[in-house]
Amino acid sequence: MTLSRSARWRASLAAVRISALQFLADPQWLIPSMIAPVIFGLVAFELFRGLGQYFAIYAILGAGMMSMWGQTLYGSGWATGQDREFGTLEPTLQAPTPYLYVILGRVTWNVLTGLIGGAIVYGVVVLANGSVPALQNPAGFVLLFAFVILSLAAVGIVFAAFYVYTRYAGFIQNIGEFAFYVGTGCMFPVVLLPFWTNPIALAFPPTWALDALRYLAIPGYQGFAWGFWPDLAGAFATTGIYLAIAGTVFRRVERHVLEIGDVQDY
Amino acid sequence: MTELAIEARGVERVFVSRKGFFLNEITRTEALRGVDLNVEAGEIFGLLGPNGAGKTTLTKILSTLLLPSKGEAKVLGLDVTKEAAKLRPRMGLVLGGERGLYNRVSARENLRYFADLYGVPVAEREHRIQKVLDRVGLIESADRRVEEYSRGMKQKLHLARGILHEPEILFLDEPTIGLDPKSARETRKLIRGLVTDGVTIFLTTHYMFEAEELCHRLAVLTKGRVVGRDTVAGLRALVGGDRTLEVEGYGFEDAEVEALKRLPGVSKIVSEEFGPRLRLTLRLRTGELRVDAVRALLNSHPELTVRERQTSLEDVYLDLVGDGS
Repeated sequence: MTLSRSARWRASLAAVRISALQFLADPQWLIPSMIAPVIFGLVAFELFRGLGQYFAIYAILGAGMMSMWGQTLYGSGWATGQDREFGTLEPTLQAPTPYLYVILGRVTWNVLTGLIGGAIVYGVVVLANGSVPALQNPAGFVLLFAFVILSLAAVGIVFAAFYVYTRYAGFIQNIGEFAFYVGTGCMFPVVLLPFWTNPIALAFPPTWALDALRYLAIPGYQGFAWGFWPDLAGAFATTGIYLAIAGTVFRRVERHVLEIGDVQDY
Repeated sequence: MTELAIEARGVERVFVSRKGFFLNEITRTEALRGVDLNVEAGEIFGLLGPNGAGKTTLTKILSTLLLPSKGEAKVLGLDVTKEAAKLRPRMGLVLGGERGLYNRVSARENLRYFADLYGVPVAEREHRIQKVLDRVGLIESADRRVEEYSRGMKQKLHLARGILHEPEILFLDEPTIGLDPKSARETRKLIRGLVTDGVTIFLTTHYMFEAEELCHRLAVLTKGRVVGRDTVAGLRALVGGDRTLEVEGYGFEDAEVEALKRLPGVSKIVSEEFGPRLRLTLRLRTGELRVDAVRALLNSHPELTVRERQTSLEDVYLDLVGDGS
Protein backbone atom coordinates (compact mmCIF):
# COMPACT_ATOMS: atom_id res chain seq x y z
CA MET A 1 0.00 0.00 0.00
CA THR A 2 1.44 3.39 -0.98
CA LEU A 3 0.89 6.61 0.94
CA SER A 4 -2.42 8.38 0.23
CA ARG A 5 -2.48 11.81 -1.37
CA SER A 6 -3.76 13.41 1.84
CA ALA A 7 -0.92 11.79 3.81
CA ARG A 8 1.56 13.22 1.29
CA TRP A 9 0.19 16.73 1.76
CA ARG A 10 0.34 16.22 5.52
CA ALA A 11 4.03 15.43 5.03
CA SER A 12 4.38 18.79 3.24
CA LEU A 13 2.87 20.50 6.28
CA ALA A 14 5.28 18.56 8.49
CA ALA A 15 8.13 19.92 6.34
CA VAL A 16 6.83 23.47 6.87
CA ARG A 17 6.75 22.81 10.60
CA ILE A 18 10.25 21.30 10.88
CA SER A 19 11.63 24.16 8.72
CA ALA A 20 10.00 26.70 11.04
CA LEU A 21 11.37 24.97 14.13
CA GLN A 22 14.86 24.83 12.67
CA PHE A 23 14.61 28.48 11.65
CA LEU A 24 13.53 29.58 15.11
CA ALA A 25 16.22 27.47 16.76
CA ASP A 26 19.07 28.88 14.71
CA PRO A 27 19.89 32.59 15.14
CA GLN A 28 21.94 32.67 11.91
CA TRP A 29 18.69 32.92 9.90
CA LEU A 30 17.95 36.29 11.47
CA ILE A 31 20.58 37.85 9.21
CA PRO A 32 19.12 36.99 5.79
CA SER A 33 15.50 37.15 6.89
CA MET A 34 15.35 40.18 9.20
CA ILE A 35 18.54 42.21 9.06
CA ALA A 36 19.40 41.97 5.35
CA PRO A 37 16.00 43.36 4.24
CA VAL A 38 16.54 46.46 6.39
CA ILE A 39 19.94 47.03 4.77
CA PHE A 40 18.63 46.26 1.26
CA GLY A 41 15.71 48.68 1.83
CA LEU A 42 17.92 51.53 2.99
CA VAL A 43 20.53 51.01 0.24
CA ALA A 44 17.87 50.83 -2.47
CA PHE A 45 16.14 53.92 -1.12
CA GLU A 46 19.37 55.95 -1.29
CA LEU A 47 20.29 54.43 -4.68
CA PHE A 48 17.03 55.33 -6.37
CA ARG A 49 16.38 58.63 -4.55
CA GLY A 50 15.95 61.45 -7.02
CA LEU A 51 15.24 59.16 -10.00
CA GLY A 52 11.75 60.44 -10.68
CA GLN A 53 8.62 60.59 -8.58
CA TYR A 54 8.22 56.80 -8.38
CA PHE A 55 11.67 56.07 -7.04
CA ALA A 56 10.25 54.65 -3.77
CA ILE A 57 8.38 51.93 -5.71
CA TYR A 58 11.57 51.02 -7.58
CA ALA A 59 13.34 50.82 -4.23
CA ILE A 60 10.64 48.61 -2.67
CA LEU A 61 10.47 46.28 -5.66
CA GLY A 62 14.25 46.08 -6.07
CA ALA A 63 15.17 45.50 -2.45
CA GLY A 64 12.04 43.49 -1.72
CA MET A 65 12.71 41.09 -4.56
CA MET A 66 16.37 40.75 -3.62
CA SER A 67 15.36 39.83 -0.13
CA MET A 68 12.66 37.43 -1.28
CA TRP A 69 14.96 35.91 -3.86
CA GLY A 70 17.48 35.08 -1.17
CA GLN A 71 14.96 33.51 1.16
CA THR A 72 12.69 31.78 -1.31
CA LEU A 73 15.09 30.49 -3.86
CA TYR A 74 18.42 30.28 -2.10
CA GLY A 75 16.75 29.04 1.08
CA SER A 76 14.89 26.29 -0.75
CA GLY A 77 18.07 24.88 -2.24
CA TRP A 78 19.94 25.32 0.99
CA ALA A 79 17.27 23.42 2.95
CA THR A 80 18.13 20.26 1.00
CA GLY A 81 21.82 21.05 1.38
CA GLN A 82 21.27 21.13 5.14
CA ASP A 83 19.49 17.78 4.99
CA ARG A 84 22.65 16.42 3.37
CA GLU A 85 24.82 18.04 6.04
CA PHE A 86 22.71 16.73 8.94
CA GLY A 87 22.47 13.27 7.37
CA THR A 88 18.67 13.57 7.38
CA LEU A 89 18.37 13.36 3.59
CA GLU A 90 18.90 9.60 3.69
CA PRO A 91 16.08 8.77 6.18
CA THR A 92 13.85 11.34 4.47
CA LEU A 93 14.34 9.70 1.08
CA GLN A 94 13.79 6.28 2.65
CA ALA A 95 10.40 7.40 4.01
CA PRO A 96 7.34 6.61 1.86
CA THR A 97 6.59 10.29 1.12
CA PRO A 98 8.02 11.34 -2.28
CA TYR A 99 10.72 13.94 -1.62
CA LEU A 100 8.97 16.48 -3.85
CA TYR A 101 6.25 16.85 -1.17
CA VAL A 102 8.92 17.51 1.46
CA ILE A 103 10.49 20.14 -0.75
CA LEU A 104 7.12 21.79 -1.36
CA GLY A 105 6.81 22.18 2.41
CA ARG A 106 10.34 23.55 2.71
CA VAL A 107 9.75 26.00 -0.14
CA THR A 108 6.45 27.13 1.42
CA TRP A 109 8.26 28.02 4.62
CA ASN A 110 10.93 29.89 2.68
CA VAL A 111 8.21 31.76 0.77
CA LEU A 112 6.72 32.84 4.09
CA THR A 113 10.06 34.10 5.40
CA GLY A 114 10.66 35.76 2.02
CA LEU A 115 7.35 37.58 2.37
CA ILE A 116 8.35 38.74 5.84
CA GLY A 117 11.58 40.07 4.28
CA GLY A 118 9.57 41.84 1.58
CA ALA A 119 7.30 43.37 4.21
CA ILE A 120 10.32 44.61 6.17
CA VAL A 121 11.71 46.27 3.02
CA TYR A 122 8.34 47.89 2.42
CA GLY A 123 8.23 49.20 5.98
CA VAL A 124 11.79 50.55 5.83
CA VAL A 125 11.26 52.38 2.52
CA VAL A 126 7.92 53.81 3.64
CA LEU A 127 9.52 55.03 6.85
CA ALA A 128 12.47 56.57 4.97
CA ASN A 129 10.16 58.09 2.36
CA GLY A 130 7.75 59.46 4.94
CA SER A 131 4.70 58.33 2.93
CA VAL A 132 3.11 55.25 1.38
CA PRO A 133 3.81 55.23 -2.39
CA ALA A 134 0.63 54.82 -4.46
CA LEU A 135 0.48 51.90 -6.91
CA GLN A 136 -1.04 52.31 -10.34
CA ASN A 137 -3.10 49.10 -10.14
CA PRO A 138 -3.10 47.80 -6.54
CA ALA A 139 -5.45 44.82 -7.11
CA GLY A 140 -3.55 43.61 -10.18
CA PHE A 141 -0.29 44.17 -8.35
CA VAL A 142 -1.33 41.96 -5.43
CA LEU A 143 -2.46 39.16 -7.75
CA LEU A 144 0.68 39.30 -9.82
CA PHE A 145 2.80 39.57 -6.69
CA ALA A 146 1.41 36.22 -5.55
CA PHE A 147 2.37 34.81 -8.94
CA VAL A 148 5.91 36.23 -8.62
CA ILE A 149 6.24 34.25 -5.41
CA LEU A 150 5.15 31.11 -7.27
CA SER A 151 7.67 31.80 -10.04
CA LEU A 152 10.46 32.17 -7.47
CA ALA A 153 9.32 28.98 -5.76
CA ALA A 154 9.39 27.13 -9.11
CA VAL A 155 13.04 28.06 -9.59
CA GLY A 156 13.66 27.18 -5.93
CA ILE A 157 12.31 23.66 -6.41
CA VAL A 158 14.63 23.13 -9.38
CA PHE A 159 17.57 24.29 -7.25
CA ALA A 160 16.50 21.95 -4.45
CA ALA A 161 16.56 19.07 -6.93
CA PHE A 162 20.20 19.87 -7.74
CA TYR A 163 21.03 19.65 -4.04
CA VAL A 164 19.59 16.15 -3.93
CA TYR A 165 21.44 15.30 -7.15
CA THR A 166 24.87 16.45 -6.07
CA ARG A 167 26.57 17.64 -2.95
CA TYR A 168 28.32 20.28 -5.08
CA ALA A 169 25.06 22.14 -5.81
CA GLY A 170 25.97 24.81 -3.25
CA PHE A 171 28.99 25.72 -5.35
CA ILE A 172 26.81 26.36 -8.40
CA GLN A 173 24.18 28.23 -6.40
CA ASN A 174 26.73 30.46 -4.67
CA ILE A 175 28.14 31.46 -8.05
CA GLY A 176 24.69 32.04 -9.46
CA GLU A 177 23.09 33.91 -6.59
CA PHE A 178 24.55 37.35 -7.17
CA ALA A 179 24.52 37.07 -10.95
CA PHE A 180 20.82 36.23 -10.73
CA TYR A 181 20.12 39.23 -8.49
CA VAL A 182 21.13 41.45 -11.35
CA GLY A 183 20.30 39.15 -14.25
CA THR A 184 16.64 38.64 -13.35
CA GLY A 185 16.10 42.36 -12.87
CA CYS A 186 15.55 42.16 -9.14
CA MET A 187 17.57 45.28 -8.42
CA PHE A 188 17.42 47.11 -11.76
CA PRO A 189 15.06 46.60 -14.70
CA VAL A 190 16.73 44.19 -17.11
CA VAL A 191 16.35 46.73 -19.94
CA LEU A 192 19.03 48.82 -18.25
CA LEU A 193 21.51 45.96 -18.56
CA PRO A 194 23.65 45.25 -21.67
CA PHE A 195 21.63 43.54 -24.39
CA TRP A 196 23.66 40.34 -24.28
CA THR A 197 22.44 39.65 -20.74
CA ASN A 198 18.78 39.69 -21.84
CA PRO A 199 18.51 36.13 -23.23
CA ILE A 200 19.97 34.74 -19.99
CA ALA A 201 17.60 36.84 -17.92
CA LEU A 202 14.59 35.77 -19.99
CA ALA A 203 15.23 32.15 -19.13
CA PHE A 204 14.09 32.89 -15.57
CA PRO A 205 10.38 33.38 -14.73
CA PRO A 206 10.99 36.21 -12.21
CA THR A 207 12.45 38.40 -15.02
CA TRP A 208 9.11 38.39 -16.88
CA ALA A 209 6.99 38.58 -13.76
CA LEU A 210 8.97 41.45 -12.26
CA ASP A 211 8.77 43.51 -15.42
CA ALA A 212 4.99 42.97 -15.50
CA LEU A 213 4.83 43.91 -11.84
CA ARG A 214 6.54 47.22 -12.55
CA TYR A 215 4.00 47.93 -15.31
CA LEU A 216 1.25 47.49 -12.74
CA ALA A 217 2.96 49.53 -10.05
CA ILE A 218 4.52 52.47 -11.88
CA PRO A 219 2.58 54.83 -14.17
CA GLY A 220 4.35 55.30 -17.52
CA TYR A 221 6.87 52.49 -16.85
CA GLN A 222 8.88 51.51 -19.95
CA GLY A 223 10.15 47.98 -19.59
CA PHE A 224 10.61 45.41 -22.33
CA ALA A 225 9.53 46.72 -25.72
CA TRP A 226 6.74 44.16 -26.00
CA GLY A 227 4.82 45.60 -23.02
CA PHE A 228 2.73 44.21 -20.16
CA TRP A 229 0.68 41.36 -21.69
CA PRO A 230 3.57 39.51 -23.36
CA ASP A 231 5.43 39.96 -20.05
CA LEU A 232 2.56 38.27 -18.25
CA ALA A 233 2.34 35.48 -20.83
CA GLY A 234 6.11 34.96 -20.60
CA ALA A 235 5.90 34.78 -16.82
CA PHE A 236 3.17 32.13 -16.94
CA ALA A 237 4.94 30.13 -19.65
CA THR A 238 8.36 30.11 -17.99
CA THR A 239 6.90 29.33 -14.56
CA GLY A 240 4.98 26.44 -16.10
CA ILE A 241 8.15 25.21 -17.74
CA TYR A 242 10.08 25.43 -14.45
CA LEU A 243 7.36 23.57 -12.55
CA ALA A 244 7.35 20.87 -15.23
CA ILE A 245 11.16 20.70 -15.09
CA ALA A 246 11.00 20.49 -11.28
CA GLY A 247 8.55 17.58 -11.38
CA THR A 248 10.55 15.69 -14.01
CA VAL A 249 13.91 16.47 -12.46
CA PHE A 250 12.71 15.30 -9.05
CA ARG A 251 11.50 11.97 -10.35
CA ARG A 252 14.81 11.44 -12.16
CA VAL A 253 16.90 12.72 -9.27
CA GLU A 254 15.22 10.35 -6.81
CA ARG A 255 16.11 7.48 -9.14
CA HIS A 256 19.61 8.85 -9.73
CA VAL A 257 20.49 9.05 -6.03
CA LEU A 258 19.45 5.43 -5.61
CA GLU A 259 21.85 4.55 -8.42
CA ILE A 260 24.75 6.66 -7.13
CA GLY A 261 24.16 6.10 -3.42
CA ASP A 262 25.86 9.26 -2.18
CA VAL A 263 23.06 10.95 -0.23
CA GLN A 264 24.90 10.34 3.01
CA ASP A 265 27.87 12.38 1.73
CA TYR A 266 28.22 16.07 2.40
CA MET B 1 6.70 -23.80 4.20
CA THR B 2 8.10 -20.85 6.15
CA GLU B 3 7.26 -17.44 4.75
CA LEU B 4 10.27 -15.50 3.54
CA ALA B 5 10.73 -11.89 4.62
CA ILE B 6 13.81 -11.38 2.44
CA GLU B 7 14.89 -13.16 -0.74
CA ALA B 8 18.03 -11.95 -2.48
CA ARG B 9 19.33 -13.62 -5.63
CA GLY B 10 22.67 -12.78 -7.21
CA VAL B 11 22.73 -9.24 -5.85
CA GLU B 12 25.70 -7.28 -7.14
CA ARG B 13 26.61 -3.67 -6.59
CA VAL B 14 29.41 -1.74 -8.24
CA PHE B 15 30.26 1.80 -7.15
CA VAL B 16 31.81 3.99 -9.80
CA SER B 17 33.65 7.08 -8.60
CA ARG B 18 35.21 9.76 -10.75
CA LYS B 19 38.14 11.93 -9.78
CA GLY B 20 40.40 14.46 -11.41
CA PHE B 21 39.71 17.89 -12.88
CA PHE B 22 37.84 16.45 -15.85
CA LEU B 23 36.41 13.56 -13.77
CA ASN B 24 38.28 11.22 -16.10
CA GLU B 25 39.87 9.02 -13.42
CA ILE B 26 37.29 6.31 -12.96
CA THR B 27 37.43 3.84 -10.09
CA ARG B 28 35.11 0.83 -9.91
CA THR B 29 34.55 -0.83 -6.56
CA GLU B 30 32.68 -4.11 -6.40
CA ALA B 31 30.89 -3.88 -3.06
CA LEU B 32 28.65 -6.93 -3.55
CA ARG B 33 29.48 -9.87 -5.84
CA GLY B 34 26.41 -12.05 -6.19
CA VAL B 35 24.76 -12.26 -2.78
CA ASP B 36 22.08 -14.90 -2.23
CA LEU B 37 20.11 -14.69 0.99
CA ASN B 38 16.86 -15.93 2.52
CA VAL B 39 15.51 -14.47 5.75
CA GLU B 40 12.46 -16.06 7.30
CA ALA B 41 9.59 -13.96 8.62
CA GLY B 42 9.79 -13.40 12.37
CA GLU B 43 13.46 -14.26 12.81
CA ILE B 44 16.46 -12.18 13.81
CA PHE B 45 18.96 -12.54 11.01
CA GLY B 46 22.48 -11.29 11.59
CA LEU B 47 24.94 -10.15 8.97
CA LEU B 48 28.57 -10.25 10.05
CA GLY B 49 31.60 -9.11 8.18
CA PRO B 50 34.70 -6.93 8.38
CA ASN B 51 34.69 -3.23 7.54
CA GLY B 52 34.13 -2.75 3.83
CA ALA B 53 32.64 -6.22 3.37
CA GLY B 54 29.44 -4.77 1.91
CA LYS B 55 27.11 -5.05 4.93
CA THR B 56 25.79 -1.48 4.79
CA THR B 57 25.52 -1.65 0.99
CA LEU B 58 23.37 -4.78 1.24
CA THR B 59 21.27 -3.21 4.03
CA LYS B 60 20.69 -0.12 1.90
CA ILE B 61 19.70 -2.18 -1.14
CA LEU B 62 17.25 -4.24 0.88
CA SER B 63 15.82 -1.09 2.48
CA THR B 64 15.30 0.57 -0.95
CA LEU B 65 17.98 3.26 -0.47
CA LEU B 66 20.25 1.91 -3.16
CA LEU B 67 19.70 0.09 -6.43
CA PRO B 68 21.57 -3.15 -7.10
CA SER B 69 23.74 -3.22 -10.23
CA LYS B 70 22.57 -6.79 -10.91
CA GLY B 71 20.36 -9.44 -9.37
CA GLU B 72 17.05 -9.11 -7.61
CA ALA B 73 15.84 -8.76 -4.07
CA LYS B 74 12.41 -9.04 -2.55
CA VAL B 75 11.39 -7.88 0.89
CA LEU B 76 7.97 -8.94 2.21
CA GLY B 77 7.37 -10.34 -1.27
CA LEU B 78 7.88 -6.95 -2.95
CA ASP B 79 10.68 -6.11 -5.37
CA VAL B 80 12.99 -3.54 -3.74
CA THR B 81 13.63 -1.70 -7.00
CA LYS B 82 10.20 -1.80 -8.66
CA GLU B 83 7.86 -1.74 -5.67
CA ALA B 84 9.75 0.52 -3.25
CA ALA B 85 6.78 2.85 -2.75
CA LYS B 86 4.62 -0.04 -1.52
CA LEU B 87 7.41 -1.46 0.59
CA ARG B 88 8.64 1.64 2.43
CA PRO B 89 5.63 2.09 4.74
CA ARG B 90 6.09 -1.52 5.88
CA MET B 91 9.80 -1.41 6.69
CA GLY B 92 12.01 0.48 9.13
CA LEU B 93 15.67 1.36 8.84
CA VAL B 94 18.05 2.35 11.62
CA LEU B 95 21.44 3.47 10.33
CA GLY B 96 22.43 5.08 13.62
CA GLY B 97 25.40 7.31 14.29
CA GLU B 98 25.75 10.96 15.20
CA ARG B 99 24.07 12.19 12.01
CA GLY B 100 20.58 11.64 10.64
CA LEU B 101 18.67 13.73 13.19
CA TYR B 102 17.60 17.37 13.44
CA ASN B 103 19.89 18.38 16.29
CA ARG B 104 18.41 21.80 17.01
CA VAL B 105 14.93 20.51 17.67
CA SER B 106 13.65 18.09 20.30
CA ALA B 107 13.44 14.32 20.02
CA ARG B 108 9.65 14.58 20.10
CA GLU B 109 9.66 17.02 17.16
CA ASN B 110 12.02 14.76 15.21
CA LEU B 111 9.59 11.90 15.73
CA ARG B 112 6.55 14.05 14.82
CA TYR B 113 8.20 14.94 11.54
CA PHE B 114 9.05 11.38 10.59
CA ALA B 115 5.64 10.11 11.81
CA ASP B 116 4.07 12.41 9.22
CA LEU B 117 6.52 11.34 6.53
CA TYR B 118 5.55 7.71 7.23
CA GLY B 119 1.84 8.48 7.19
CA VAL B 120 1.18 7.59 10.84
CA PRO B 121 -2.50 8.55 11.38
CA VAL B 122 -2.87 11.93 13.12
CA ALA B 123 -5.15 10.48 15.77
CA GLU B 124 -2.49 7.93 16.76
CA ARG B 125 0.62 10.04 16.29
CA GLU B 126 1.13 11.46 19.80
CA HIS B 127 0.29 8.14 21.45
CA ARG B 128 2.75 6.29 19.21
CA ILE B 129 5.49 8.84 19.88
CA GLN B 130 4.93 8.51 23.62
CA LYS B 131 4.97 4.72 23.33
CA VAL B 132 8.26 4.51 21.40
CA LEU B 133 9.93 7.12 23.59
CA ASP B 134 8.95 5.05 26.59
CA ARG B 135 10.13 1.87 24.91
CA VAL B 136 13.61 3.23 24.20
CA GLY B 137 13.85 5.02 27.56
CA LEU B 138 13.88 8.60 26.31
CA ILE B 139 10.58 9.77 27.77
CA GLU B 140 12.16 12.14 30.31
CA SER B 141 14.41 13.83 27.79
CA ALA B 142 11.91 13.84 24.92
CA ASP B 143 11.55 17.62 24.89
CA ARG B 144 15.26 18.39 25.04
CA ARG B 145 17.12 19.39 21.90
CA VAL B 146 18.86 16.44 20.28
CA GLU B 147 22.16 18.37 20.26
CA GLU B 148 22.20 17.93 24.05
CA TYR B 149 21.94 14.16 23.70
CA SER B 150 24.79 11.71 24.26
CA ARG B 151 25.77 9.33 21.48
CA GLY B 152 23.82 6.55 23.15
CA MET B 153 20.67 8.68 23.45
CA LYS B 154 20.92 9.56 19.75
CA GLN B 155 21.20 5.88 18.94
CA LYS B 156 18.04 5.22 20.94
CA LEU B 157 16.27 8.02 19.10
CA HIS B 158 17.29 6.48 15.76
CA LEU B 159 15.76 3.24 16.99
CA ALA B 160 12.57 5.01 18.12
CA ARG B 161 12.24 6.55 14.67
CA GLY B 162 12.75 3.15 13.05
CA ILE B 163 9.84 1.53 14.94
CA LEU B 164 7.50 4.55 15.08
CA HIS B 165 5.38 3.43 12.13
CA GLU B 166 5.24 -0.17 13.39
CA PRO B 167 7.13 -1.81 10.53
CA GLU B 168 6.86 -5.50 9.70
CA ILE B 169 10.59 -5.70 9.07
CA LEU B 170 13.35 -3.64 10.66
CA PHE B 171 16.87 -3.17 9.30
CA LEU B 172 19.39 -2.34 12.00
CA ASP B 173 22.90 -1.32 11.02
CA GLU B 174 25.10 -1.83 14.10
CA PRO B 175 22.35 -0.88 16.55
CA THR B 176 24.45 -0.98 19.73
CA ILE B 177 27.56 0.76 18.47
CA GLY B 178 28.57 3.55 20.85
CA LEU B 179 26.19 2.44 23.57
CA ASP B 180 27.33 1.81 27.15
CA PRO B 181 26.89 -1.81 28.32
CA LYS B 182 23.60 -1.09 30.12
CA SER B 183 22.07 0.72 27.14
CA ALA B 184 23.33 -1.97 24.77
CA ARG B 185 21.70 -4.64 26.92
CA GLU B 186 18.43 -2.65 26.94
CA THR B 187 18.62 -2.32 23.18
CA ARG B 188 19.09 -6.07 22.76
CA LYS B 189 16.10 -6.60 25.05
CA LEU B 190 14.09 -4.20 22.90
CA ILE B 191 15.11 -6.09 19.73
CA ARG B 192 13.97 -9.38 21.27
CA GLY B 193 10.71 -7.69 22.26
CA LEU B 194 10.13 -6.56 18.69
CA VAL B 195 10.53 -10.12 17.45
CA THR B 196 7.98 -11.25 20.04
CA ASP B 197 5.65 -8.66 18.49
CA GLY B 198 6.16 -10.35 15.10
CA VAL B 199 8.75 -7.99 13.57
CA THR B 200 11.46 -9.54 11.40
CA ILE B 201 14.90 -8.15 12.24
CA PHE B 202 17.84 -7.90 9.86
CA LEU B 203 20.85 -6.66 11.74
CA THR B 204 24.49 -6.04 11.03
CA THR B 205 26.96 -6.08 13.87
CA HIS B 206 30.63 -6.37 14.69
CA TYR B 207 29.91 -7.78 18.14
CA MET B 208 30.08 -11.57 18.04
CA PHE B 209 28.50 -12.06 21.46
CA GLU B 210 25.61 -9.86 20.34
CA ALA B 211 25.09 -11.89 17.18
CA GLU B 212 25.34 -15.13 19.16
CA GLU B 213 22.90 -13.88 21.79
CA LEU B 214 20.32 -12.40 19.42
CA CYS B 215 20.36 -14.05 16.04
CA HIS B 216 18.48 -17.14 15.00
CA ARG B 217 20.58 -17.36 11.85
CA LEU B 218 23.64 -15.57 10.54
CA ALA B 219 25.47 -14.86 7.34
CA VAL B 220 29.12 -13.91 7.09
CA LEU B 221 29.93 -11.50 4.32
CA THR B 222 33.45 -10.78 3.16
CA LYS B 223 34.68 -8.97 0.07
CA GLY B 224 31.09 -8.74 -1.17
CA ARG B 225 30.39 -12.47 -0.96
CA VAL B 226 28.49 -14.58 1.55
CA VAL B 227 30.99 -17.16 2.80
CA GLY B 228 28.78 -18.78 5.41
CA ARG B 229 25.09 -18.80 6.21
CA ASP B 230 23.44 -20.84 8.95
CA THR B 231 22.64 -21.01 12.65
CA VAL B 232 25.58 -20.52 15.04
CA ALA B 233 25.79 -24.32 15.45
CA GLY B 234 25.60 -24.78 11.69
CA LEU B 235 28.39 -22.28 11.14
CA ARG B 236 30.54 -24.06 13.74
CA ALA B 237 30.05 -27.27 11.81
CA LEU B 238 30.90 -25.43 8.60
CA VAL B 239 34.33 -24.42 9.92
CA GLY B 240 35.09 -27.81 11.36
CA GLY B 241 33.23 -28.44 14.60
CA ASP B 242 32.13 -27.02 17.92
CA ARG B 243 35.21 -28.06 19.93
CA THR B 244 38.54 -26.30 19.75
CA LEU B 245 41.91 -27.17 21.23
CA GLU B 246 44.50 -24.46 21.75
CA VAL B 247 48.09 -25.70 21.89
CA GLU B 248 50.79 -23.23 22.89
CA GLY B 249 54.56 -23.64 22.99
CA TYR B 250 57.88 -22.08 21.93
CA GLY B 251 57.73 -23.22 18.33
CA PHE B 252 56.81 -26.55 16.70
CA GLU B 253 58.48 -28.59 14.01
CA ASP B 254 56.65 -28.94 10.68
CA ALA B 255 56.55 -32.69 11.24
CA GLU B 256 54.79 -32.15 14.57
CA VAL B 257 52.15 -29.95 12.95
CA GLU B 258 51.63 -32.56 10.23
CA ALA B 259 51.23 -35.23 12.90
CA LEU B 260 48.64 -33.11 14.69
CA LYS B 261 46.72 -32.75 11.43
CA ARG B 262 46.60 -36.53 11.12
CA LEU B 263 45.06 -37.00 14.59
CA PRO B 264 41.48 -38.32 14.46
CA GLY B 265 38.79 -35.62 14.34
CA VAL B 266 41.10 -32.68 13.54
CA SER B 267 39.53 -30.70 10.70
CA LYS B 268 41.68 -27.62 10.62
CA ILE B 269 44.77 -26.08 12.24
CA VAL B 270 45.39 -22.33 12.43
CA SER B 271 48.69 -21.01 13.74
CA GLU B 272 49.27 -17.62 15.32
CA GLU B 273 52.40 -16.12 16.86
CA PHE B 274 52.33 -14.37 20.24
CA GLY B 275 55.83 -12.98 20.72
CA PRO B 276 58.13 -16.00 21.24
CA ARG B 277 55.20 -18.37 21.65
CA LEU B 278 53.22 -20.07 18.92
CA ARG B 279 49.57 -21.01 19.26
CA LEU B 280 48.06 -23.81 17.20
CA THR B 281 44.27 -23.78 17.16
CA LEU B 282 42.85 -27.19 16.33
CA ARG B 283 39.22 -27.28 15.16
CA LEU B 284 37.70 -30.66 16.06
CA ARG B 285 34.97 -32.38 14.10
CA THR B 286 34.24 -35.03 16.70
CA GLY B 287 34.73 -35.60 20.42
CA GLU B 288 37.19 -38.50 20.03
CA LEU B 289 40.43 -36.53 20.32
CA ARG B 290 41.52 -35.98 23.93
CA VAL B 291 43.94 -33.45 25.37
CA ASP B 292 46.16 -36.29 26.59
CA ALA B 293 46.71 -37.52 23.03
CA VAL B 294 48.00 -34.10 22.00
CA ARG B 295 50.25 -33.88 25.05
CA ALA B 296 51.65 -37.32 24.25
CA LEU B 297 52.43 -36.32 20.68
CA LEU B 298 54.20 -33.12 21.76
CA ASN B 299 55.93 -34.52 24.87
CA SER B 300 59.27 -32.99 23.86
CA HIS B 301 57.86 -29.53 24.79
CA PRO B 302 57.98 -29.17 28.58
CA GLU B 303 56.49 -25.67 28.39
CA LEU B 304 53.44 -26.90 26.46
CA THR B 305 49.94 -25.72 27.40
CA VAL B 306 46.81 -27.32 25.96
CA ARG B 307 43.30 -25.93 26.52
CA GLU B 308 39.99 -27.23 25.32
CA ARG B 309 37.01 -24.96 24.78
CA GLN B 310 33.87 -24.61 22.71
CA THR B 311 34.40 -23.07 19.26
CA SER B 312 33.22 -19.47 19.58
CA LEU B 313 31.41 -17.47 16.94
CA GLU B 314 34.54 -15.33 16.77
CA ASP B 315 36.55 -18.45 15.78
CA VAL B 316 33.98 -19.22 13.13
CA TYR B 317 34.03 -15.65 11.89
CA LEU B 318 37.82 -15.49 11.71
CA ASP B 319 37.98 -18.83 9.92
CA LEU B 320 35.41 -17.76 7.36
CA VAL B 321 36.71 -14.25 6.80
CA GLY B 322 40.32 -15.37 6.59
CA ASP B 323 42.51 -12.59 5.25
CA GLY B 324 39.45 -10.54 4.36
CA SER B 325 39.46 -8.95 7.80
